[in-house]
Amino acid sequence: MSETITQQALRALVDEWIGAGTKVAGPSYVKKDLCQYVPLTSSAELLLEGFIHPRNSVKDFFFPRHEKIYEYTLKGHEVELADMTPASTPQVIVAARPCDTAAVAILDAVFNWGEKDEFYTQRREAATIVALACVTHDSHCFCTSVGIGPDAEKGADVMLLPLDGGFEVRCLTEKGKTLFAGRTQPSDKTAVIPEGPKVKVSPEQVRAALEDYDNPLWKTATLRCLSCGACSFTCPTCHCFDIVDEGNAHGGCRAKNWDSCQLCMFTKHASGHNPRNVQGQRQRQRTQHKFRIYPDKFGEVLCTGCGNCARNCPVSLGILGTLVELCAEMPKTVGESK
Amino acid sequence: MIEEIRQTCRTLLEAGTVNVVIAYGQSNPDGPVHPIFVTKPDDVEKIVWNKQCFANLTTYLTRKEVKSLGKAAILVKGCDARSLVVLVQESQVERSDVHVIGLACEGVGEPELAGKCRVCEVHMPVGVDVTIGSTEAAAPEGQNRYALVDEFMKKSPEERMAFWKQEFERCVRCYACRGVCPLCYCNQCIVDKNRPVVIDTSATLKGNFAWNITRAFHLAGRCVSCGECTRVCPAGIDLRMLNASLAQSAEKHFNYRAGMDPETPPVIGTYNAEDKENFIR
Ligand code: SF4
Ligand code: SF4
Ligand code: SF4
Ligand code: SF4
Repeated sequence: MSETITQQALRALVDEWIGAGTKVAGPSYVKKDLCQYVPLTSSAELLLEGFIHPRNSVKDFFFPRHEKIYEYTLKGHEVELADMTPASTPQVIVAARPCDTAAVAILDAVFNWGEKDEFYTQRREAATIVALACVTHDSHCFCTSVGIGPDAEKGADVMLLPLDGGFEVRCLTEKGKTLFAGRTQPSDKTAVIPEGPKVKVSPEQVRAALEDYDNPLWKTATLRCLSCGACSFTCPTCHCFDIVDEGNAHGGCRAKNWDSCQLCMFTKHASGHNPRNVQGQRQRQRTQHKFRIYPDKFGEVLCTGCGNCARNCPVSLGILGTLVELCAEMPKTVGESK
Repeated sequence: MIEEIRQTCRTLLEAGTVNVVIAYGQSNPDGPVHPIFVTKPDDVEKIVWNKQCFANLTTYLTRKEVKSLGKAAILVKGCDARSLVVLVQESQVERSDVHVIGLACEGVGEPELAGKCRVCEVHMPVGVDVTIGSTEAAAPEGQNRYALVDEFMKKSPEERMAFWKQEFERCVRCYACRGVCPLCYCNQCIVDKNRPVVIDTSATLKGNFAWNITRAFHLAGRCVSCGECTRVCPAGIDLRMLNASLAQSAEKHFNYRAGMDPETPPVIGTYNAEDKENFIR
């Protein structure tokens, strides 16, 4: 037994949410060949099939690329400060890939670590995430290597699984139940999701390989890296930001902007010294953070195997290739699962 | 052709003429083609040449990580050879320091040929040390290389502004466009200047306009239309239109096209007392 919804009924429901003033976002073709998660003005824009992974990630809706923290106004010699209220408009993210929803659950830890990040948390509390299970994958996907998969429920409030032109609906949380209450039909069928990508790498083995901090691989395997932010900014789990002041003689704001450990300015000191002065060191940092530092601190790897870092990389580098190369050098005894 | 490419590279490495060959490789046969750096003669077998060889490898000639490997040989298509000309003219690369292997190219992109290849005039690269392969491919007769811009300029200023707002809105300031561009070689990019800040780093419409317009201006009369920035932008922004419009101006007003001829002085670096503008006198 299962609960189901037809595609038509789902679209009608999405339109209802939009009509009720909820911010709804989901995958859509914003132009030819460019599928992104974007705010939707109608369910007609929503993609429910025929895409692998949007070029961006759902972190955009919790941790936007630019966020004002406060504004300031200069009045003579006085400075007036105005706090920004974190957005708490209800939002629904619909048709999010499981590797994206899992990422949100992973990010909760860091944004609530010590100080609560009010901006992130409020958006998160006001959001309901409706995941869409994957029936296809591409060569960049490796979710199954990091403990999730094409129908992984982590971070999702509802899971939609393609079934006979519609979806099986699994409501996983109270929020999810409320969203779909009375909208589903019982059915005697259940969705069967094809197996995901084969396991390509083992996080334990990566973790062990990362102990060798001065591995020469960082110099050779990452030579082609161009030091941009395409991987980090489209990655659902990368979450570094920079605090900047922007304005003019009359006023301005303090803002939190996305930043990337791959950009040369990331670690540049005011003195001019840069502890990560060459690209290999920056690549090592990104991998260390995801597979050693974050797991040591928060108990899980900071990567959901979505493959976006490779899809968006100008030179098709991406983390997976590096992980595979790292492990290829390891003695066979450390984890056989490769 | 691939055997000849590999053999040429092998000979160069074996003879010690160069320490590294900057080439195209493929981690697996169905996977994407990407730049590789070959330092051992036997590794030349990893070199590939096919319709997916989009990258303009000359961008690596100014990168310190690559320079530290020693003297380089590089594979260039005709369009890439143009950026090398500009790099040499701008004193970023000493021409005699690089061994340039030109590849006869009928165009990249499959099944559809890349836009730049459909109007390409340099199927046989110029100014190289050796050319491998040959092709009869030529630019279509009477083509307008700025057709895209001309078409766009028929729109009203409001429509054009609306278009750019929509495009720049998506910019996440990842700087992949800058990273891939052979002519964005500055040690410190203007957008990285923060004492004081020159260009807002915020990915707001204001910051994004400032960034993309400034980058385009810094490439005026220099951009060789290799199309790499447009290809790599994760936000799918049509950067080529900006570059093409400035290239069109350089051609129209100064009869200059970047990287076409090593002997023609660069338009940005030339003083001409006969210039029609008065301020120069
Ligand atoms: S790995 Fe690719 S996307 Fe990431 S910084 Fe390097 S070139 Fe940019
Ligand atoms: S590191 Fe790459 S594969 Fe892992 S979550 Fe980020 S973008 Fe996805
Ligand atoms: S590559 Fe695209 S998104 Fe990235 S900075 Fe350049 S224009 Fe913006
Ligand atoms: S601006 Fe773009 S098209 Fe022009 S040279 Fe640079 S990467 Fe190539």
